[in-house]
Formats: sequence, structure tokens, C-alpha cells
Amino acid sequence: MDEFDFLSRVPLGQYVPTQSILHRLSPLTKIIMFGALMIAVMFTPSRAGLIAGVVIVFLLLLLSKVSVGFALKGLLAPLPFLLIIAIIQVFLYSSKLDPTSLVSIGWFHITFSGLWAGGMLLIRFCAIILLLSLGGFVISTSELLQGLTRMLSPLNRIGIRTMDFIMIIQVTLRFLPFLAQSAERIAKAQASRGSDWGVKKKGLINRIRQVVPMLIPLFITSLRRSENLALAMDARAYGIFNQRTSMAEFRYTWKDAAGVILSVMVSLAIFIV
Amino acid sequence: MIWFLQYNIRVSSQPSGTEPGLPSLIQFDHVTYNHPGSDPSSPPALNDISIRIEPGEWVAIVGANGSGKTTFARHCNALLLPTHGQVLIDGKNTLQFSNLSHVRARIGMVFQNPEDQIVATLIEEDTAFGPENLMVPPAEIRERVRSALTTVKMDGKKDRPPHLLSAGQKQRVALAGVLAMQPECVIFDESTAMLDPRGRLDVLAEIQSLHERGITVLFITHFMEEAARADRVLVLNSGNLVFDGAPRALFADQALLIDCGLEQPSTLLLLNEIRGLNSQLSHLSPDFEQALREIPEYKGSYIYSGRIDPPPDSETLIAVENLDHFYLRKTPLEQQSLYNINLEVKSGLAHGFCGATGSGKSTLLQHLNGLYRPQKGEVRIGDFALSDPDVDIKQVRRFAGLVFQNPEIYFFEQYVGDEIAYGPKMLYGRDGLAKRVRDAMELVGLDFEKFKDRVTYTLSGGEKRKVALASVLALQPRLLILDEPTAGLDPASRRNVHGILQHAQTRGSELILSSHSMGDITELTQNLTILSNGRSLRTGNTADLFNDAQLINEASLGQPSVVRLAVRMRERGWPIPQRVVKAEQLFNALQTMNGGQAHG
Repeated sequence: MDEFDFLSRVPLGQYVPTQSILHRLSPLTKIIMFGALMIAVMFTPSRAGLIAGVVIVFLLLLLSKVSVGFALKGLLAPLPFLLIIAIIQVFLYSSKLDPTSLVSIGWFHITFSGLWAGGMLLIRFCAIILLLSLGGFVISTSELLQGLTRMLSPLNRIGIRTMDFIMIIQVTLRFLPFLAQSAERIAKAQASRGSDWGVKKKGLINRIRQVVPMLIPLFITSLRRSENLALAMDARAYGIFNQRTSMAEFRYTWKDAAGVILSVMVSLAIFIV
Repeated sequence: MIWFLQYNIRVSSQPSGTEPGLPSLIQFDHVTYNHPGSDPSSPPALNDISIRIEPGEWVAIVGANGSGKTTFARHCNALLLPTHGQVLIDGKNTLQFSNLSHVRARIGMVFQNPEDQIVATLIEEDTAFGPENLMVPPAEIRERVRSALTTVKMDGKKDRPPHLLSAGQKQRVALAGVLAMQPECVIFDESTAMLDPRGRLDVLAEIQSLHERGITVLFITHFMEEAARADRVLVLNSGNLVFDGAPRALFADQALLIDCGLEQPSTLLLLNEIRGLNSQLSHLSPDFEQALREIPEYKGSYIYSGRIDPPPDSETLIAVENLDHFYLRKTPLEQQSLYNINLEVKSGLAHGFCGATGSGKSTLLQHLNGLYRPQKGEVRIGDFALSDPDVDIKQVRRFAGLVFQNPEIYFFEQYVGDEIAYGPKMLYGRDGLAKRVRDAMELVGLDFEKFKDRVTYTLSGGEKRKVALASVLALQPRLLILDEPTAGLDPASRRNVHGILQHAQTRGSELILSSHSMGDITELTQNLTILSNGRSLRTGNTADLFNDAQLINEASLGQPSVVRLAVRMRERGWPIPQRVVKAEQLFNALQTMNGGQAHG
């Protein structure tokens, strides 16, 4: 139905101000929390740990008051790739450790442990993507930047200008929804001129033929826009001083301390179980 | 690094010895600017400009597209540095890096495209960006942000992501971001070009209040009515400063206006014309509001020429019934953008859509060629029912061609001919392609041989718009749907587009357009739908709707000046027909009266 609704398919990097308890934590706390959980989910060797990680991701999602359906939508786009990776994993994993194969196709054997490994990989990636989008929902750009600024501030003392690095992240995040919107408008403009957008899904070659004319205006508008944005930032005195102040001041409360301690403990637990 | 280099190069040739005394806020000394990498023999973008602007002035800058207005403005806050000559802000040279923080803090700038100047992902954070860069302490930033957002009346929306605001709202946010830096002078670079009449009035009201608080205003515009409000007007023509004086003096100089691709404000044109048409009106003041009050009681014979065209025999082209639409449906950011829209468009009657930004015009237009399918309700385009899942959507789009707002930003071919050929090639194949392209180009007044191999990005603003029109006309659509067809064009190009559309009409295209420009609507349409907040307030005859002051007010629109004049004259007893909405209609009515007097 909504072939052109590109924006709703990009939940990543979209802050959703629901004022939940997660939103109200200090930026640094949130970054540490998500960072720790991310590492734990990414590297935990055990199945129980991974399952626990998934449960915790969903608990956090509920805490954030963002609709679960919206978050899950973000999984749809990468899902085919994840499935392919998982299937490859199933085949590659099998032969060595577990000789009892369930099915054999020529040289490839599917084993029980292979299936487990593929499944784990799939779940692991889904959990990571959910965590990333959840981070986007509860950490606004400027919070992320303030958190990062604080984390990276020791680097300033050894003469590295962290401000620019942080600005790069900010502009990238700001551009994500814009790219989706531009793509939507370009697709619509071209559909109005007879291209196949929104008509019917045809073969791969047709899809590619349809995307190429879209890339050129997308690049050009992006370049033009980044030029304009750079001018606007210049006009608003960016980069004149080596440092910036910040509108928001964050006080660290017992909630932050609790958040950090809890998340680090949970992450360790996920890792060790 | 670049600043530093330019500074070093410039120091040696800097003209020495500026005048003593109190420095002007902005001072240009023989400023010439060549775009980097441009051919040295080509004319410079700014040519030997010397000028002073004092604190508290309200200066309008006008000129055709490409005349150097923006280049001029960007020299005032050191976004560009002069190739020759110098710019002094409070006596401080913009070429010196150490003056930069002073210059940027003193001179703020609001750009044309509201989307390109928003840095942060929340409004409040964006407003704080400037003061943060100037190292203002946090508590004071919060206070400045609060007061700036209150000033532009956006304090209720500070948590919304900027990309989901309307253009007018974004522009107000951009102004707030500048105000939070507490500048001495604000430059508006065509900041009203993308706004609806109400948004434009809002920005103008902001400017008025800035002006009253003693803030200097530099205001670049294509709208002569807006320029007329300033104390002083600068006219640029191909990089030369050709006029510097009071607006009234400029608008009295017809030859200069034509030479620079400008025009008199439409209100002034109107008054000049009617002053000549009737002796009772010859003494009217050139100020429109004043003139309205001065219109005398009618003394003369009553000859009524209130001829009303019989409704033409016509078919229904578009029928919309109970249409609802939700933007970002089934997400946390879901917003209803259309509520229960009903309307009918008949052939032979050009149809307009009016409404403030965010009223749902674009969303509705995108339903009219099948880009959106009805989520609820029904849309019928010709014989196609859009809610039918099996409808051939490509045929719908061939039947109803849509030209987007600012269509030239979607160009993707290098050459004009290829760009125009894209659509017909997709829909009709290669047979007769060259002829289709040639016809379309002739229709918009571009010579086929001369323009087909031109590179699209080297065209002027007006020419690009013509190519965009041709690229849809080449599909030979029955319906020609246009979203803001004249946005961002200078006066001469605007008239040109009107001519093209009227020509297309005589060739059998049915026009449907949305516009913020009352001029577009009154010149081009017979019927009108007025939208407000996603609801259709009324559909009917354009003249009837514009004569309904209450309705126009409710929709946050402005009555066209012709209508205001006609209404006022009727109040004073003048026999002006009810359905006057174009200037010529008013002139004709006055001429008929003269005829009546002569014979009676």
C-alpha cells in the first residue's frame, strides 16, 4: 500500500520522546548501559546468556514505552541478509564437531549443532539490531553527543579535537531521516514521469534499472544539502572556538548509578551464564 | 586553514586608510567577488560594490535570479570573502580570522531552504546550537532558547523532530536559532520564498518587531510587496549595484524595473491602472491601505455588465469521496493528514488548491495521480478507481501528470533532451520520441536545437523550471497537476510559467494546481478548493470563494488585492460585478462604466 513510505522503514536513528524512565537517565549512563549490553549480547558464548539477553532487550523495550511493533519493523529490512548468513552458518558449522548429520546434500551436512549455531547467529543479530534501534529511540542525538563528549574529553587534553568527530556523528544521524525523505520524493517524482515505482515488483534487473536514476538526484541533493548545511553551521559560528558549551547540564543521580551497576552486572551475567 | 591562507594573500593588497569617525554596522569598500575557479574573463559575481548600512536600518535587496543577491549577503557575515576590496563589520575587517566570532555573533542569517539549516534532531537543541558555539554558559543558553522559541511562537513544539514540521514552522525555528545568538543584524535570504501567505506574513511581522527593537534587517526577496515595506532598497543586476534608495523611487522607475527583470508591486500596478481609468479615482494614494479608505462614493450611471459564464458542458475528471490519509501510519509518529475530503473536478474548469502549509495540499495532489492510494474513502481519476487493487497505476499516471514542487532538484540526466525524453521513453517507447520531446520543448518555449544538448545544471532557474514542465508535458497527460509551479522564481519567470500553462490549456490539458501565490490561483483557475488542517473547507468558483472574507480568514489565507479593491468599491456603490478576481476583470468593468457614461 504505502510503497513510498520510506521513512517508516527506517526506525534506526529516530528519537521517540516518550519521557520514559530510560529517557530520563543521563546520557553517559545510557551509553554505558547500551554499550555493555551490546558487548555482552555480541560475544556471549552461551545459549542461556543469549536468551537472557533477548529477554532483557524486550524488557528495556517495554520500559521505553515505544511500541514493540514499530521496533520489530526495523528487523524486516535486514532479515533476508540475516537469514542468508544464518543458512551459510548452518552449512559451514556442521562437518567438524558433530558427525551425526540430519540431512546430507552432497558434501554438505546439516547437523543438529549446526542448526543451533545458525539459530543463535540469527537471534544474536536480531538482538543487536533491536538494541541499536532502542538506543536510537531513547538517546537523542544531542544526548549521544554530550555523552560521547564527556567520554572522549580526556582525548582533548592530549591535543585531539574531539568536537569535529562528534559533529560528524551528529550530522550523519540528522541526515538519515532526510535521506529517506529525499528518496521518497525522488521516487515519487520519477513515478509521476512513468518509472515503475509502486507499480509491481518485477525481476532484479528491473529493480536495479529503477534505482539507478534515483541515485543521481539523491547524491546531488545530498551534496547540495551538505554544502548548505555547512554554510548554515558556519553562519552560526560553528568552529570558531575550539570548544562548545552545552544547553543541557546533567546531574548524576542514584538512578544513574543504579542503571550503570545493574547493566554492567547483567552484562557480566549474560556473559558468564 | 583556508581562512588563514586567504587572509595572508589579502593582507598585502588590502586598501589602507578607512575614514575616521563612527564605523558603520556594515561597510563594503569596492568589493569585487569572483567565484573560485571561474573564468577570469567572465563577469564577476559582485562588481566593485561600495555601500554602508547603519544600525537599525531595514534594507531590502532585490534582483532577478542569479543577480548576486545571495553573494552580496554572504559577504556580510564572512561566509564569502571579497576577491578585491574589503568588508567591515563595526569597522572590523571580515578578512581577519580573529574578527570572525564577532562578525558571526553580530550578523545572523536565515537561509532560503528551511530544511538545510537545521543541525540538531530536536528543535530546542537546534536553537541552542549557535549560543553553544559562542561558549555561552548553559543556564543562559536555556533562557535564550526559551525566549527565542517564544518569540517565534514555537515553544509548544520544542520536542518535535524538525523533519516533521511544516516549511513555515521550520523557518521560524531557523529564525529562533539566529535570535538565540542575540545578533545586531539578521539577514533573510529569500526566507519567505517557500512559505504560504500566512507564514510569509508571520515572518514579515517578526521582521517588523525585530526592526522596532532596533535590529538591522537585510531582506532578500522576489516579492515586490515585501520589498516595498523596507526603508531602503538595493537592486542588483548581474553583480552590479544599480539602485540604492527608497522603494517608492524604485517603483517609479519603469525602465530600470524592466531592465532588471523586476516589476511594480501588484497593488501599485492596480492603483496606477485604475487611476487612469476613471476620473473619480485619479487622486487615490499610491499606498494601498490608504487608497482603500479613500475610494469615493460612486457618482455615475449604473450599467451592469455582470455577465456570468454559463457552466460549460463537461465531464467529471476527478471525484474524491470521504478520503482520509495517515502519514507514517502504524508508527509512533503517525499523524492524520487528510480528514474526510470530498470534491469533484470537472473538465474545462481549471482547479486550484489553496491552504496554509500543512493543510494537506501536497498529500491530496499525490492522491490525484495514484502516488498515494486511498487508505480510506475513494478517489476516481477519469475512469480509474484508485481503491481497486488491480487498477493499472501506470495508466493513471499517464492520464494525470504531476509536476512536483521544485521539480528541478530531481533531474538525473546530463542533457536537457534526455531529461525530457525519460518519461515518454518509459511510457511510449522509442517510436516518435524525438517528436514528443520537440513538441514539449516548443510548448514551453525552449528551442529544440538550441537546448536539447545543453547540460541541465548550467541552466538558469527559469529555464530549469521550463525543462521540468516539458518533461511532464511530453507524456501528453490529460490532467496536468502542479504543486507550487512558480515557487522560487523571479517575477519575469513567474509570468513566463503562467503563459506556458495557459498555452498548455489551449492544447487540451486540464490544469490542476496548488499554490501559495494568490496570483497563480486567480490568474489560472476557475474553481478552487480551500483546505485547512487536512480538511476541505469549501469547493467552488474561485472568485466566489475569494470574495468570502470570513472563509479566507478561516483558512489563514489573504484576499488578493484585486478582490479587496473590488469589495471596497462595491461598498461605496460602484457597479463592480461580484465575480471579479483578476485585474483585467476590474479594468474591464471600469472601462464599461466609462463607455456607459459617454453614451448616457
